[in-house]
Amino acid sequence: MQMSESQILDGIRSGNRKYFAKLLSICEDDPAKANHLISNLEKHTAHLIGITGSPGVGKSSIINAILDKSDDKRLGIIAIDPSSPFTGGALLGDRIRMQSHATSKNFFIRSFASRGTVGGLSPSIFEACDAFETFGVDSVFIETVGVGQSDVEIANVADTVIVLLSPDGGDEIQMMKAGLMEIADIFVINKSDNPLSKGLFSKLKNILEMSKKDIPIFLTNSITGDGIDNLIKTLEKRFSLMLENGSLAEKRKKRVVKHAQAILRKKIDRIFETINADRLNIEEIEKEAIRKICNKL
Amino acid sequence: MIKVLVAKPGLDGHDRGAKIIARALRDAGMEVIYTGIRQTPEQIVQTAIDEDVDVVGISILSGAHMKLVPRILELLKNNNSDVAVFVGGIIPEEDAMELKKSGVVEVYGPGTPISEVVERIKGYFEHANV
Repeated sequence: MQMSESQILDGIRSGNRKYFAKLLSICEDDPAKANHLISNLEKHTAHLIGITGSPGVGKSSIINAILDKSDDKRLGIIAIDPSSPFTGGALLGDRIRMQSHATSKNFFIRSFASRGTVGGLSPSIFEACDAFETFGVDSVFIETVGVGQSDVEIANVADTVIVLLSPDGGDEIQMMKAGLMEIADIFVINKSDNPLSKGLFSKLKNILEMSKKDIPIFLTNSITGDGIDNLIKTLEKRFSLMLENGSLAEKRKKRVVKHAQAILRKKIDRIFETINADRLNIEEIEKEAIRKICNKL
Repeated sequence: MIKVLVAKPGLDGHDRGAKIIARALRDAGMEVIYTGIRQTPEQIVQTAIDEDVDVVGISILSGAHMKLVPRILELLKNNNSDVAVFVGGIIPEEDAMELKKSGVVEVYGPGTPISEVVERIKGYFEHANV
């Protein structure tokens, strides 16, 4: 459905979900236009919470468990699943776990495809988060694609990163590796009914003590809801502390730089798509790209 | 990019067909959201609006299509949505005619080649600006 800019802005100001949904589509299809629209709306700072971990570890289910206990909050959910590198198509299935909340007035769940970005996010993730801040939510949960050990982009986007682990996720060497394990502000060991979860808890605790890091670890069960209350309380405390001590403002400043970098990267990627490689070697391609970039910027 | 919601309303849990269609549309380059089984019309319509999809594909095998599909169409209309609705399942021909009269784009029964569904959806949007 075609909607004019002023219709979209008025619709969002009056809290109409349909117009907000359209803004999120614009974030995906035309980020520059989205940034323009967002700049015309009032923003309320929301806690941007990244939830990341391997495929099947329970990211969608734990968000559902949090929603179950958050009736009094306004929450946004950005659920990202991978796009096919071959056809561009995607099967977005995170929502299935949260579908009992689909008609809740306080929650807004939106699926995003990764559309060719690496790192476990969507190319329009910054715009999407900013958009949610114009819709007056208390927190936004960003569920990454099921990630591998080096997908750390979420740390540039979220205020708080939760790394979700599965009890059978590997030995302590896996936990000592660089990358994903370094970006956690909070660790959650999900599926706590699995007897292996206690072993993982103590291994992880030892390793964090070794590196003198004071990162909280939670044991949760998304089906029974065990451990979820504590996790919610910790998230709330952390956010008010970050607001108070200025660390949120610091993070957001760095985030603007990352956002600009992401926009520029996308432009450069598009320039590379226009280079005809038939008659060029690597050096010439590089020069050609730099020439085109200089002409464009 | 065509965005599709594959939805399974009512009480039947047989979602092999819905999953095959979702997978085929994915392979045809569309972004497909699957709701899972046992959805109410309210859940399906709110999801279609929040996800801003172009197509809702409803899979229904329980025989309750003359109750559930018109309700979904009514809720979409109440929300001023112009999303294209496709239905697949065990639908007798006279019911299919009636559903199409009330706004369903196409109704597919068992044995429909998947390529036919894909081409019909693509064709529907060929002239639209998506």
